[in-house]
Amino acid sequence: MSFRVRGRRVRKWFFGDSARAFGTLGVLLLALLAIVPAKDRFREWLGYQKEYEILIRGRTDGVALAKRFQSGVQQIWLPERDVTDRCMTCHTRLKETSLAGVGQPFRPHPPIPHSLTEFGCTICHRGQGVATTVEEAHRSTKAWEEPILPAQYSEAGCGQCHRDGLKGTPQLNAGRVLLARYGCVNCHRLVSPEGGASQGTDRPPSLKRIAEKTTREWIYFWIKDPQAWAATATMPNFGLSDADARDVSAFVISQSSPGSIAPAVATNDAGAAAGAELYGESFCASCHAMQNAAGKITGGDLAPDLTRVGSKVRPEWLAAWVKNPAAYLPGTMMPHFRFDEKQIGLLVSYLGRKQDSYFPANIRLEPATAAQIAHGQKLVLEKGCAACHEMNGVARPDNFAPDLTAVGSLPPARVLLAPGVPRTLPDYLAAKIREPHAFGREMKMPRNQFTDAQVEQLVTALLAQTSRSQTFPAALRRPTPVNVTYQPAGRAGQLMKDLRCLSCHSINGTGGSMAPDLTWEGSSVQRAWLLDFLKNPNTLRPVLIRRMPRFNLSNDDASTLADYIMTAYQTPAFDREEVDATKLTPTEASRGKSLFYGKYACNSCHIVDPDNDKGYIGPTLTQAGTRLNAPWIFHWLKNAQALRPGSLELNWNMNDEDAWAITAFLMQQKNTRKPGGER
Amino acid sequence: MNSLYSRLRGTAVWRSVFRSGTGDTNLHRSLTVQQNIFLHLASVKIRRRALEFGVTWYLGTLSMASFVILVVTGVLLMLYYHPSVPQAYADMKDLQFVVSAGVFLRNLHRWAAHAMVVLVFAHMFKVFYRGAYRPPREFNWVVGVMLLLLTLFLSYTGYLLPWDQLAFWAITVGSNIISAVPAMGAKIRFLMLGGHTVNANALLRFYVLHCVILPLIAAVFLAVHFWRIRKDGGLYTGDKPRE
Repeated sequence: MSFRVRGRRVRKWFFGDSARAFGTLGVLLLALLAIVPAKDRFREWLGYQKEYEILIRGRTDGVALAKRFQSGVQQIWLPERDVTDRCMTCHTRLKETSLAGVGQPFRPHPPIPHSLTEFGCTICHRGQGVATTVEEAHRSTKAWEEPILPAQYSEAGCGQCHRDGLKGTPQLNAGRVLLARYGCVNCHRLVSPEGGASQGTDRPPSLKRIAEKTTREWIYFWIKDPQAWAATATMPNFGLSDADARDVSAFVISQSSPGSIAPAVATNDAGAAAGAELYGESFCASCHAMQNAAGKITGGDLAPDLTRVGSKVRPEWLAAWVKNPAAYLPGTMMPHFRFDEKQIGLLVSYLGRKQDSYFPANIRLEPATAAQIAHGQKLVLEKGCAACHEMNGVARPDNFAPDLTAVGSLPPARVLLAPGVPRTLPDYLAAKIREPHAFGREMKMPRNQFTDAQVEQLVTALLAQTSRSQTFPAALRRPTPVNVTYQPAGRAGQLMKDLRCLSCHSINGTGGSMAPDLTWEGSSVQRAWLLDFLKNPNTLRPVLIRRMPRFNLSNDDASTLADYIMTAYQTPAFDREEVDATKLTPTEASRGKSLFYGKYACNSCHIVDPDNDKGYIGPTLTQAGTRLNAPWIFHWLKNAQALRPGSLELNWNMNDEDAWAITAFLMQQKNTRKPGGER
Repeated sequence: MNSLYSRLRGTAVWRSVFRSGTGDTNLHRSLTVQQNIFLHLASVKIRRRALEFGVTWYLGTLSMASFVILVVTGVLLMLYYHPSVPQAYADMKDLQFVVSAGVFLRNLHRWAAHAMVVLVFAHMFKVFYRGAYRPPREFNWVVGVMLLLLTLFLSYTGYLLPWDQLAFWAITVGSNIISAVPAMGAKIRFLMLGGHTVNANALLRFYVLHCVILPLIAAVFLAVHFWRIRKDGGLYTGDKPRE
């Protein structure tokens, strides 16, 4: 009761007549308007700047830090690069290295080759540069679709412009290698700004003559789950049902053109033992892996796993293949070993016994019907098998899968949702790579078994696919490395192609990375040594397993190759014959010896005296005098990187006198004894 | 107090500014209103009844108040806004993130615009259901309808100016609707957008319409509207005029 009376009195005081009501409302409105300057006063970034001032107040270098600190909104404005970044309003002192270890937002930026003020922040990190609130600057909103890149994908920022591998971006580089190695780019177009489309490095074999090579049962087993056959297989899993795999295998066999199958080769157990020896001597394991008795996979990863090859290929095909691989598959990486008939028999005996007793017993396929073959063909078209494998009667599909050229700029609004996947681009890409079928059973994309680290690498490489660099002024654009394909000429060129030298070695920017670069080999070595090495290779580095196979070259072929290498692969920097004899005196050599063991401590990595030296990292130099040319050693000591970019040799900045002295010392080393025993 | 006021009214400066003289008669009172450019639209006399809330719900006054707020905030916003393709959206962002009270300014303009559309409609309904459009006020009803259309045009042209996706597609859809006009639809659309798509020319045209042409026309119609209220016998109260 009293409350109601009081209430009535209060109401009368405030709203009793129109003048009072007007006054009351006016005061209320004024109070409401006071929110405006108050909100201005308590802006988020002002809080961070105050926090920074408190942080540096207690520090010994506080005065200097305070002097460099600028309060108020800070921005980097680069109109020609479309950058207005106000990140430094809260991230106050990105260049203050003494603040390392301090939490965000005051942590200094790690050192990078770019100036922060020339590039700003959002070009690499994304996010909304103009924003001055944490939420708006970092996260995706309706008004800004490009959220900040999560820290683990930072390297994607570099990859937008740098299409060649940078030293500081291992994750990005690895991701790009995976995209090519697992054949992602066979289905997806991925074009660099200058127009070159990425090419796969997985080399999927042609299936045009597959019936000569293997059986329908093996194909059935393989396409159902390639990784079950070989863990290293790069072919993805399409999740085929038993019936689908039966029909696809039926079609694949039926499209194979009837080839001439060579007569079977006689094999025996004794041959198998000798074949194992030949397999080792020929260094097949440099490229092929095999599971040993302990179940451990050893060998290279350039070529297929051979653990169960006997259950996979027909012996008559294997014999023909080992004899000359290019006759079956012209584009193969495998060299043409010059095996004789007896050696071929031994290898086939050995490899033919590499069988899986479980596999053939468990697969029984009835002869295929026409309907099954037709259904198999339909599946082959649907799954895009011909995007990778050549087949008779099936054309390679164009643009089979979505173009990934600008996938890194896909706005979150256009990202498809799968249950349990956050709506961000990196999460979407990772989920799609891990389990494509989570986005629908009918999804064409197959699944590869990638580790978490590999998924992260792939996502980094995909996030780098933006077109941002295209908007930059020409002076800032990075040219895309051009894919040069070098092919040596003439008879030696034919020989090198036949031996597939470029599968392992690189010359003039083309070739593999397993073995040393041979671009300037002619300047480096002496012909006699090279000829000897081609006929009977051994390793130069004690810590490395020897991997160069013996190709059973004839004297004629070996000297043709040696002549070509000596003539064609010379650096224009110096003449290998031009030796100043006065520099290579015994006195100089003894001075060089003391420099070798003393000032430069070359023996940390190299061996000259096989009994006492313990340098196992660099090539052994016991034969340097017969192997290398003096000017090469001299220039190598001066600047090894100029001769072989990426060499582990340190940059010594050596003066000419010291370099010649060490050269004189090394040219004395003509030891013929094998260093440290051959492994 | 009163004598001070009357002495002030007698000074030469006052007399030069206000031409209505110093008397206290009804004539003088009416002259005070009539001789003043700002007041001459208003009635000399007004019935106490007409000022009651129930009569009008103050809807006309509130519409006018929204218009005033829109003009004031709009002019302030013009200080920050460039009607150009690369700059327009960036200016929104600057208002949002760095201009003092920029968000308040923009939101005030936006909400006042929404309020004005609602209030003008409500005003019209109130007039309609109370029968205030009947003679002698039928012309002022027509003026009011013109003002409603002007309000909607102002709202529509202002919608494009933030130059975001919402704006772009709204105007795209809207201009496509216009092209459905028989015979000359495509021509009108071309004239409105200054081209075939919503682009820089459309932005500029909408900006000029929104900030200059439509407000001026609205001001003229408002003047006529208020003047006609006086001429048509003051606010309609619904009461029988006293004999």
